[in-house]
Amino acid sequence: MKIGTHFLATTLGVQAMGLAGQDRILAYTFGMAVDVDHLVKLPYYLRAVGLHDKRGYYWRSSLQEPVALLWILPLSYFLGTIVPVIFFAIHVAMDYSVRFEKMPFYPYSNYVTRGWLTGISDKVKERVLFTVLLVLNVIVYAGWLRA
Amino acid sequence: MHERIPVLIRISDWTVRPILRFLHLKLRATPAHVTWASFVFSVAAGVAVATGRVHAGLWLMFVGQVLDGMDGGMAREFGLQSEAGRRLDDVLDRASEVVIFLGFAVAGIVTFKIVLLALIAIALMTTVTHRARFDPGLKRFALYFGIWLPYPLIFDVIFLANLAGYVLDLLIIDCQFQLEMDALGGDLDTVASRAAALQDGQPPSASTRGEALTPGTEPVPAEP
Repeated sequence: MKIGTHFLATTLGVQAMGLAGQDRILAYTFGMAVDVDHLVKLPYYLRAVGLHDKRGYYWRSSLQEPVALLWILPLSYFLGTIVPVIFFAIHVAMDYSVRFEKMPFYPYSNYVTRGWLTGISDKVKERVLFTVLLVLNVIVYAGWLRA
Repeated sequence: MHERIPVLIRISDWTVRPILRFLHLKLRATPAHVTWASFVFSVAAGVAVATGRVHAGLWLMFVGQVLDGMDGGMAREFGLQSEAGRRLDDVLDRASEVVIFLGFAVAGIVTFKIVLLALIAIALMTTVTHRARFDPGLKRFALYFGIWLPYPLIFDVIFLANLAGYVLDLLIIDCQFQLEMDALGGDLDTVASRAAALQDGQPPSASTRGEALTPGTEPVPAEP
């Protein structure tokens, strides 16, 4: 999923749960900033592909796969909040609805999956989800203004 | 961490060579005996800490760590290196951390929660450190800083350093795998499954050779 859709999902979660302070930072960190691993892969992309736009490159890393729960769960316990787990799960669930290849348990398993809802076009899923999240954000924000 | 630096290994082996020769040639000790002796000292350290004798515990832990450094030296000196020996060393190192850390929790110096978290982080590190070849080396050793710093802070640092090391190790392994995928080339939409099949020692199947996944459909370009 694109970063804009992740931003809308995270913002909706933050508004709905009324998060503030450290919890809000954690929500955006685990809901959006885990995408920072794409930057780690950037030198590899430039080396393998160059400055061309070539779709389908494997940009993912274990930082945003379910295997990351192995370190996110202890970290959440240490911080005394469930927020990282919730927002990371939302991020992963959204990514797994797009049909590019993913390795959920690497490096412990080489299992490869394309996720769920693979029969529906990625563009359709992204547009529908983006619209739904945008509308929900506006509704929640309006309700918050009235309160 | 010094196991990764050959110069330090040679220096430490040379320093303790007379002791290693005495232990192996005169006392007929094997590297496994030294590994177990190191663990016995760690258990004694854990008991001493649990009963409130922290300084005595640290001295016992120090002896255990010296022995822990000598088992590998003995194996190298007499050509006794083995995969089983390395595994025994790893297992007893982790077991040593368990007994010593629990000693601190039993004595009420730190909470059981932070001890559990520190042990989980170290265990996670251990699962990937041999593949990634990176280990921050901040485990039992950090406890010596308790002479100057509060132990709850030290355990927080052990937990966070090993968790951060684990995340870094995962990224290192991912980058190694990325190089394999880049070398494979071909259709990017199936490159992960093809590289995974090669790692598993299987020839790429028809559905993972970069061909259309089902008849009449082309692989769909993916976006992150």
